[in-house]
Formats: sequence, C-alpha cells, structure tokens
Amino acid sequence: MTKTIMLSFFVFFMTLAHAQKVEFTEYNLDNGLHVILHQDNTAPVVITSVMYDVGGKDGPRDRTGFAHFFEHLLFEGSENIGRGEFMKIIPANGGTFNANTSQDRTYYYEIFPSNKLELGLWLESERMLHPVIDEQGVETQNEVVKEEKRQSYDRPYGKLLEVIGENLFEAHPYMDTNIGKMEHLDAATLEEFNAYFDKYYGPNNAVLIVAGDIDKEKTIKMVRDYFGEVKPRPEVKRDFPKEEPITETKKVTTYDANIQIPAVLAAYRLPGQSTRDAFVLDMISAYLSGGKSSVLYKKLVDEKKLALQVQAVNLGQVDYNIFALFALPQGDVALDTLLDEMDEEIAKMQNELISERDYQKLLNQFENQFVSSNSSVAGIASSLATYYMLYDDVNLINNQLDLYQSITREEIRDVAKKYLSPNQRVEIEYLPKKEDN
Amino acid sequence: MKTLKIKLVTFIGVVLITLGASAQIDRSQMPEAGPEPTINLEKPKESKLKNGITVMVVENNKLPRVSYQLSIDNKPLVEGDKAGVASLLSSMLGNGTTSISKDDFNEEVDFLGASINFGSSGGFGSGLKKYADRIVELMADATINPLLTEEEFQKEKDKLVENLKTQEKDLSAVSSRVVSALAYGKDHAYGEFITEETINNVTFQDVKDLYKKTFAPNNAYIVVVGDIEPKEAKKQIKKYFGDWKKQDLSEVSDPELTENVSTTEINFIDLPNASQSEISITNNVSLKQSDEDYFAALMANNILGGGGEGYLFKNLREDKGYTYGAYSSLGASRYGVSRFDASAKVRNAVADSAVVEFIKEIDLIRTEPVDPEILKNAKAKYVGNFVMALERPQTIANYALNIKRNNLPEDFYANYLENINKVSAEDVLDVSKKYFKVDNARVVIVGKGSEVVENLDRLGYPIQYFDKYANPIEKPEFKKELPEGVTVSSVYDSYIKAIGGNDVVSTFNNMMMKGNASVQGMSISFTRKLTKDGKMLELVQMNGNTLSKQVFDGEKGFTAAQGQKTDYTEQQVEDAKIMSGLFSEQKVSESAELTGIESINGEDAYVIRLTENIREFYSVDSGLKLATETTAEQMGQKMTSKLMYSDYTNKNGVMVPMMLSQDLGPQTIDIKIEEVTFNDGVTASDFE
Repeated sequence: MTKTIMLSFFVFFMTLAHAQKVEFTEYNLDNGLHVILHQDNTAPVVITSVMYDVGGKDGPRDRTGFAHFFEHLLFEGSENIGRGEFMKIIPANGGTFNANTSQDRTYYYEIFPSNKLELGLWLESERMLHPVIDEQGVETQNEVVKEEKRQSYDRPYGKLLEVIGENLFEAHPYMDTNIGKMEHLDAATLEEFNAYFDKYYGPNNAVLIVAGDIDKEKTIKMVRDYFGEVKPRPEVKRDFPKEEPITETKKVTTYDANIQIPAVLAAYRLPGQSTRDAFVLDMISAYLSGGKSSVLYKKLVDEKKLALQVQAVNLGQVDYNIFALFALPQGDVALDTLLDEMDEEIAKMQNELISERDYQKLLNQFENQFVSSNSSVAGIASSLATYYMLYDDVNLINNQLDLYQSITREEIRDVAKKYLSPNQRVEIEYLPKKEDN
Repeated sequence: MKTLKIKLVTFIGVVLITLGASAQIDRSQMPEAGPEPTINLEKPKESKLKNGITVMVVENNKLPRVSYQLSIDNKPLVEGDKAGVASLLSSMLGNGTTSISKDDFNEEVDFLGASINFGSSGGFGSGLKKYADRIVELMADATINPLLTEEEFQKEKDKLVENLKTQEKDLSAVSSRVVSALAYGKDHAYGEFITEETINNVTFQDVKDLYKKTFAPNNAYIVVVGDIEPKEAKKQIKKYFGDWKKQDLSEVSDPELTENVSTTEINFIDLPNASQSEISITNNVSLKQSDEDYFAALMANNILGGGGEGYLFKNLREDKGYTYGAYSSLGASRYGVSRFDASAKVRNAVADSAVVEFIKEIDLIRTEPVDPEILKNAKAKYVGNFVMALERPQTIANYALNIKRNNLPEDFYANYLENINKVSAEDVLDVSKKYFKVDNARVVIVGKGSEVVENLDRLGYPIQYFDKYANPIEKPEFKKELPEGVTVSSVYDSYIKAIGGNDVVSTFNNMMMKGNASVQGMSISFTRKLTKDGKMLELVQMNGNTLSKQVFDGEKGFTAAQGQKTDYTEQQVEDAKIMSGLFSEQKVSESAELTGIESINGEDAYVIRLTENIREFYSVDSGLKLATETTAEQMGQKMTSKLMYSDYTNKNGVMVPMMLSQDLGPQTIDIKIEEVTFNDGVTASDFE
C-alpha cells in the first residue's frame, strides 16, 4: 500500500520536473509496426490510436475517396467483432472514439478510462488483423458517405478546398478531393476494396500510440500479444508525379449555390510541411492574420472596412503545402481591391524586415500554442503519430518551439519573397450561383 | 532482511513477466477490464469579494498557463425588435478601455500570445503563466471600463448585417433559427433571432444601456484554472476586479414554457438550394437538473439518440444509410424551459421515409422497456465519460459553477454516478413518455420543397408552411428549373419516341387493356378500351358484376355505379375530349401548358397541365408518362388523385405500362395488366 503511494508521488514529481517535456518510448515490433508509448498517470485516462500511412492521395485515380471510405468500412466489424459492435462496445465501456482521414493519412482512436487499456488494444488490433469487408457494409457506407459529402460540401463555401485542389495541382493526386467522386465509389468492387486493404493496412505501414495512465512494461507486453501476430505486407512505394512550379497567375471563376456573399482566394503551392520553409510560412500566416492586431485583419477588416473576414492559411501536407489568402468583401467592395490590398502587405514583407516587436509577438504566440498543444493525452497521441509519420521527426513534439525560435526575420522576408508573388498562384473568384427563378 | 525481500519481489516479477510472454491471448473474447480507477473529485478553492464576485480556483501545474473565466449570472433577456443588441455589445467589448486605445489593447493581447474575448454576459482570458498578471489586468480593465465608441458601434453593426448574409442559404443556420422560433415563439428569449431589420433598430445608446444593465459584479463568478496558487489568484482578482462597483439590477422575469402543439404537425420551410433536408422533431419540456427524474431523462435520451449506439443512429444511418448522423438531445435548464429535439440531415428524396423512421424509434422507446444490456451500456458510458472528463482541470471548476448557477445540492456531482446507476428500465419508459411527446411535436423540415413536399403529404400529418424567418405562409408552388428549349411538344415528342415512335404508334386504331387488382382481399378486374377517334370505356368488375363503368363516345359520356347512371358534366366532357385518343400526345392541345418539374416517386418529371383539373407527368430521364393527376370536387372539397404508370413493357412494338397504381387517400391500388391487344377486341357497341 505504502509502496503505491510512493510510486505515485514519484511520478508526480517527475511530471513537475519536466512540466513541458513529453517523455515517450518508441520501438518496432518484428512485423514492422512502430509503437510509441507516453506515460502520464495524472488522470485515469488512456488513448489507443493507430495512424496508417494512407490517405486521399493514394490509390488509382479512377477510384478516388477510398481512404476516407475505408475509415467508414473499418468500423463495420471484424472476425471477432460483429457488425455495428465497434460503436456499441466502446461507449458501453465508457469510452469515446473517432477517426479521420486527410490526403496523407488515416487516424483511428479510442479514449477509455485507464482500466480499459487492453480493450482498446484488442479493438485496434482486430481492425488491423482481420476486419470484415463485405457487400452489406459497402452498400450502407456508400450511402452514408454520400450524405457526409452533401453535408460537408453543399454548405456555404464548402467547395473552397475542392476548387483550390483542382486548380493548384495538375499532376499530383492532391488535385482530387479527399472524399472522392461518388461514381468512383459506386463503381468499386469488393475485390478492389480487399486489395486496397492488403496494400495499405499492413502493420509496417502504421504507427500505434498508447498514451496516458499506463504501466509501460505491462503495456509493451500487451501490445506484443495483440499486434504481434499481424503479418507484415510488402512496403508501400509511392512515386507521385511532381508539379512544375507556377510561373504565371492562373485565374479561375467558380460558383456556389449556397452563398450570397462572394469570396476571393489566392492559393500558392509550396514545399511540404516538414521543410523549414513550411515552418517559416506558419509564422508568415500568423503575422498576416493571427489576431486582431495582425496586419491583414487590422487593415482590411478594422481600418478600411473592406473585408468581413480575412485569412492567410498555411495548410500542411506531406508533399506540398497549400498557402491561401482568403477574404470576404464587405458591401460592394470589389474582389480585386481585396487582392490588391493583401498583396500590398505581402510586398512589404518581401522587401522589409518585420519589426522586432512583431517578431517577438509571433514567438510569444507560438509559445502559447506550443504549451496548449500538449494539454490532453489525446492531443499528445495525435502529435506523436503525426510528427513520427508525416514529419519523420517525432522529437518535434518537444523541439518545435526551438525550431520556430531559430527562424530569423531575414528568413521570413526571404521566404515571402521566394514563394508569395502573384505570378506563383491561382486566383479564384468564388461567386454566388445566380438564381434562375 | 530488507534487501532480500526486494530481491524476492523482483524475482517474482521476472517470473510473472516471463510466464506472461508465453501466454496466449484469446482474441475471440473481449478483454476484461482492470480494476476501476479511483476518482478524486476535488473542489475548487472558493472565496467571495465584497462586491459580490465569487472566485473559484483550480490549481493545476501540469502546464505553465492560466485561464480566467468571468460569468455574470444574468437571466435570459428578451431583445425583441432590437435583437442583435447583445451580439453587438459582445463584439464591441474587448477592444480597448477608457485608458487604453483599441489598437494598443489588441496589440498587447496579441503580443502576450494571449487571448481575451467577451460575450454579452462574461468573458474569457487565457495565456502563459509568466504573463498572467497582465492578462487579468487587461481583462478586468476591459470589463469594468470598456471603450465603447459610436464609430466602433457602426462598424460592428455593418459587419453583423453582412455576416447574416453569409448564412442566408445555409441549411443548418436556417434550420436552427426556425426550429427555435417555432418551438418557443418568436418573442421568447430562446426563440427570437437577429435580422437585418432588428439590427437596424439598435442604437449606440441601446448598447451602452445593455452594458449598464448586465455588466455588474453582483452575481459574477470568476473561475481561475491553471498553474497558479489559489492565494495568488484571489489576490489578483481582488486587486483588479475589487473596485468594480455593485449595481442596482432591475428585476428580469424568468422565461416561460411555451405550450406544445395539440397534435403533431409538419412545419415545412423551402430552401431551394438545399441538397439535404434537415429534420427536427421537437417539443418543449420542463426539465431541471435538480428534478428527480433528471438522470433517467439523461439515460433515455442517450439510448434514443445519444451517439453511434443510439436507436436513431443505428436505424437511420447504419441500417438505412439515409444520413451521416441522427441524434437526439434533451435540454435541462434552471427555469424548466427547454426542448427535446431529434434531428438529422438526410437527402431530400428520403425526407418522408426518415420522418417515419424517427417516429418509429421514438415510439419504441416510449412503449417498449429498454433491453437491460442497452441500459447497462448507457450507464457505463456515462460513468466512463465522467471519469475521463476529470483529465481537464476545467471540469471540476465547471461542476462547482453549475451547482451554484442551477441551485443544485452540494453533493450533486459526488452522487452523480450513484444516481446514474439507480435508473431502471421502468424509469426510462416513464421519462420517455413524459418528455418525448411524439403526439404533440413539431416535425420541422427545412429542405428543397420541389423534391420533398409531395411525399410529405402522404405521412398524414397536417402541414404548415413557413418562410425562412418562421412566418406562416400559404403552400408555395415548388418548381424546379426547366431546362431551356423544353416545351409541351418536345415533351410529347420524346414520349412518343420512348414508347416506340410515331410510325409504329400510328398503325393502331384501337386498344384494349385488361388487368386485376386486389382490394381488401377481393379480386377486382379492370378493362379499358380506347379508340383512335376518341372513344373510351373503363369497366371495373368483381366476380362478373360491374362495380363501375365509364363511357365516352367522343361527344358525351356517363358514369354508372351501384345502379346509378350520371351523365358527364360539361367540364368532364371537355376534359375527356382533351384526353381522348389512343395516344393523345400525338397532338398538342391548345390549353396544354408545361408548368415545371416535380418528382413522382423520386423520379423527376415534366408536368403538363391539360386543364384546370388534369395534370400529366413525363419522366425527364426516360420520356415515359409516369402519372395522370385528376382533381375532382366532392362535397365542396377538392380531391386530387393520381394514376401512376410503371413496368413499361413492349407489346406489338409499343411500350405499355403493365402496372397502373391508383392512389385513393392514404392507400394505393395496384392494377396488374394481364392482357394488351391492339386493333382487336374493340367494337362500336362498347361505347354505347
């Protein structure tokens, strides 16, 4: 009894001493599954999560949307879990779950009270080892995904990302939407789904994270018990076509039936998220539109009252980032005016250094973000998986702030100059669809 | 001795681990749970300032950050024709103080990497521990001495008007506005909404008055969470918020419960751009967290629609594939004024079927005792979520605040799990009957009328129509856009082409169809004869006895039924003439008019109005005729009925519908055609 108390005391002080540092252990199983454990016994919560290195960009181009469709299919059941039981077992054990898919990866997780750790491992290993993929599941989820698409794309400004993708990319599969074309899903056969699973859902194409109130040694053993028997698959090889740099402004007009106020966008194709330049662009986007004192918000929304909203977004992806300027006009302001005004600020960044105080402001903002990003075990698990799989550097969970702090004002200016000129982008006028009657 | 003992323990440990490694797991069985984790429900450190502010502090040193939440415990306010004043006040607050300019204020907040935001009855500030003192100072200053200027007021007003427009065609925005307005009433604090007009009614003075009326320390709570000692936090709050003066607050009355409708009705709102319909089945309830049946109500709602394991989700998504998600919610409020709401976004074509399934599931939980395992699982979910929520230090602060604001017993959360576990299947049944009022509900549907409304008619509920701002309107005409170039004759041409072409069709002088139908277990035979020159006979028989007979000889006609013969009225003669002929589409009648596109059993069809009483429907896709609709006056009431054509089959080179379906009120009679002949079996005497 006394011993247990001692132990928790010890853990408590450990946590205090390393208030900021996220400790973790990583290793591989024989079948190639990468495992990362993070122990934090301060609350009786545990997360088990698996990130698979497969996303919307993978698979044949006449079968888009498979990755996301799989995210639905793999809740249908397994050899030991009946149809629909996934969604029953988890809440029945006090847990929550979800999954999400991006162009680059698919992520599944369960969060449980910590006495259900083994259950979480069983569920995820069942999914990896032998899920049931059959006609009935495919048919139902086909309809469900169509509704998901209507719900998320047929809403105001819901097609922005789709329009950016199809215009910014000419060769790389990022040109297709993540949810895919419904006719592709309609045409897909069961064999194709099975082949897709075999190709991308191997243990050696995945990372398992267990984080929270665990005993590390016991967890290592359980992980081996549940995941050890999954057979490795041939290595996934990718050879996506490279994009040629954009050298001339491309202008596009598109329509949305669900809006009344138009929008203007300028989208740039940039190096992928793990490059140093991508981190610099995070700072540029924060400088432009992070907070009420940011240059674009202050000028366009507040002082000149030209825009209702303005944003500079740096959307991280593995192969190419998307950097986009976005604004909604206020009243009758012309979309061109908004673009000109935004360009003026970017031109300043390209030619002058941002002030010392603005630079310090950015670092403070990134420090605050960094501290908050590790506030839950679920957040930590997701970061560990992402940094390991998509950035190839799991230590970013602790070093990220150092990286931002190492970026100089000169670098910010140079990166803005290198990537953010009007001839390097797609300009999109996003207009309300006219009503005919 | 001591060393030896430790070694022994280590040895046993090693043995256990080695044994464990070789043990096989049994995958076919769900793993057993370990021992329940013990939970420690702490309480925040609480103190009260002289001006009325209650300070609650939860110290948590895990991360070097602190947050401050200010909640002013005001009753909900009716904004009336000035709806938007509260929203304007919130957006104007947090932009400077009487001694710090807006730009300096915003710049400093951003510089600290902090955030400070305000609502109309509180605010929230957070940031790094090292800047905490300045963050509270700024937040307090912005609370007590806000910079409210006419210029800023005008700016925010313009923005609010424009922002409304971004939601004008948004299904979710329209639905949530209309559902609350219909359920509570448009003049109720929970039902009112902002429009351009109400925003324009608001003056700068109104905003300042509202600030005076609502921003006071009397009933305020400040919750501090994070890396800070309670003593220090209290000192901070006292230092910066201590000078905030108490105010004489005017008495605001409690919101009242709006009565439910006396019988269930459909409220339809047309949103022509919508690719889905949002369905909300809602009724008002009087439920407080302090009520005895609160925990049973939580369980009942969770079982019905609390998540992926709920009745609604399992049926509407996982079984039918109608929707991405179907859920229900049951509100509880300290005033006993809230709503039950079961909702989903479904594709327009299945809106009617989705309503049927919703009602079915709500009926089920009201009439059938819940399966013991489902109840057990629902409880386990709440227990688990309760345990896991404690990971966030905000949770215990929220619990403490909730107890105060909702006048709950001090041990409400200490007994929470016990009370959950006490709920019985019978309790669930009782509260379901009490709170899910399926017979006094509004079924609010926002969707694309031209694809939805016709099928809704069949559900048998009265339908009321409203505009996007919950104003009652007459039933609108739901038209789909007609593609350019489509005319009556182009529709007729494609119909003739679809059934075999003009050449084939012109070779026939007359036609006979014979078929059978089953009505309430009795077999009825049906005969129809038509001639090219416009004669028509329709005979309905049972066991050789004629039930009804209709004859038209090209000039006059009659109906005979139950021994009574009635001659055609002038109108009937006119209608019969226009419809006459084997394939009346070979000529275009003068009165024929293409009125739009409507859907027949989910299939888009061009609508051609032949006379005031007759409309015909031709498939946009196949060109085939899908239905004929006739309107007749009976005892002063207009009754419309449809004859639908399907199962088109090739007979003598012509596509003929082998299934005729006649709708009669809520039911449909299917006539299966057994025999079709051309130029045979029709004589002149048939039409006498």
